Amino acid sequence: MISTAPPLPTLLVIPTGIGCAVGGYAGDALPAARLLAAASGCLITHPNVMNGAALYWSDPRIHYVEGSSLDRFAAGELLLQPVRQQRVGLLLDAGIEPELRQRHLQVADGCRATLGLDIGPVVITDRPLEVSLSLGASGVSWGQLGQPEALLRAGRQLKAAGATAIAVVARFPDDSDSEALAAYRQGSGVDALAGAEAVISHLLSRELGLPCAHAPALSPLPLDPDLDPRAAGEELGFTFLPCVLVGLSRAPDLLPAATPPCGGGAGSPSLGIEAVGAVIAPAGALGGAAVLACAERGIPVIAVHNPCLLEVTAEALGLEVIAASSTSEAAGLVLALREGIAPAALRRPLPPLRRQD
Amino acid sequence: MSGVQLRPLLLQLERQSGSLREQVEAAVGAHGTPLRWAITAVQQRPEMPPLLQIEAVVLSDGTSEASDA
Repeated sequence: MISTAPPLPTLLVIPTGIGCAVGGYAGDALPAARLLAAASGCLITHPNVMNGAALYWSDPRIHYVEGSSLDRFAAGELLLQPVRQQRVGLLLDAGIEPELRQRHLQVADGCRATLGLDIGPVVITDRPLEVSLSLGASGVSWGQLGQPEALLRAGRQLKAAGATAIAVVARFPDDSDSEALAAYRQGSGVDALAGAEAVISHLLSRELGLPCAHAPALSPLPLDPDLDPRAAGEELGFTFLPCVLVGLSRAPDLLPAATPPCGGGAGSPSLGIEAVGAVIAPAGALGGAAVLACAERGIPVIAVHNPCLLEVTAEALGLEVIAASSTSEAAGLVLALREGIAPAALRRPLPPLRRQD
Repeated sequence: MSGVQLRPLLLQLERQSGSLREQVEAAVGAHGTPLRWAITAVQQRPEMPPLLQIEAVVLSDGTSEASDA
């Protein structure tokens, strides 16, 4: 079915590092994003959904927005301005070994030569960023950065040199023998890297006001014959960088909400939260900034059954939501909203109207 | 932003009426500039408002006390 109704801008949020069955691995929510982009005609989502290491999908209906910028968009602080192409600066951690650094530079060159992306300049931080990994009290992946100012200095240098978006590659600790990594690769654990990745991109995007995303630099892992297909995207190459470069290459500009409307470089008007018609999130992970901001604005929240570590449900928070048993059902609900069909009319039993006292 | 540091936080917050997002951001913001946060658990209590567990990372100037997490 092809909808002829105008697009219904829709937010898809699948929080990073909480072990979601769909979206907790290597870009394994990408099929869901593609379906929801087709149903809505305009999907706004974040790198955790779209990044499959060497695998990616570019769709002009999907806006790639880093998580903290997505939160600020949902809060009405930012507008998204589609662009034809970003100039993606490459920020490399000084802690990356020379050979691994060269691998990343070759990936960037490959994306220039094969995909036509505008990448550069390249800046190496003036000291190692000292990334460390940790889990929170809930088991959620968090993480730390020992040298945040070194990250910011390099980011400012890239911005001053003309980069309009920034891809960050930080050296992450290798833990190839850990039980957590083994569980993740076999489809039953949390992505231990995700929390620190989010911290890095949040910090940079917040301070510079540019689209940013992160790829970890890691030593190659030994072959695992029991690898879960959802984690397989991360085992295809020497780096996780291609998806980040592709995502950022057409990520929308981030404009302060007070910016007057304009046509923008891609000829499309800027997009604000008031245009958004639905937000989709895992039913057990509704306690994030973007979902709460949307709910408080009266934007319909579609809570999808997507098991994860958390049980922060609509009932626990007192939110009114539309429940969906799967992404497929969520896509049907988005299409209904886009076509002006009340979701309640699609469910049975359909209670009779009651007169208001 | 000289001497900036990232601090992990673990907070508990009794839910009040009004904007939940603003309550969480105010609680987290008391410890630094919120960089990333989420409500990670909700404890329902009889005759009392729910108790929210919040995990967060904030930016601080490096002079604050050690992490609550």
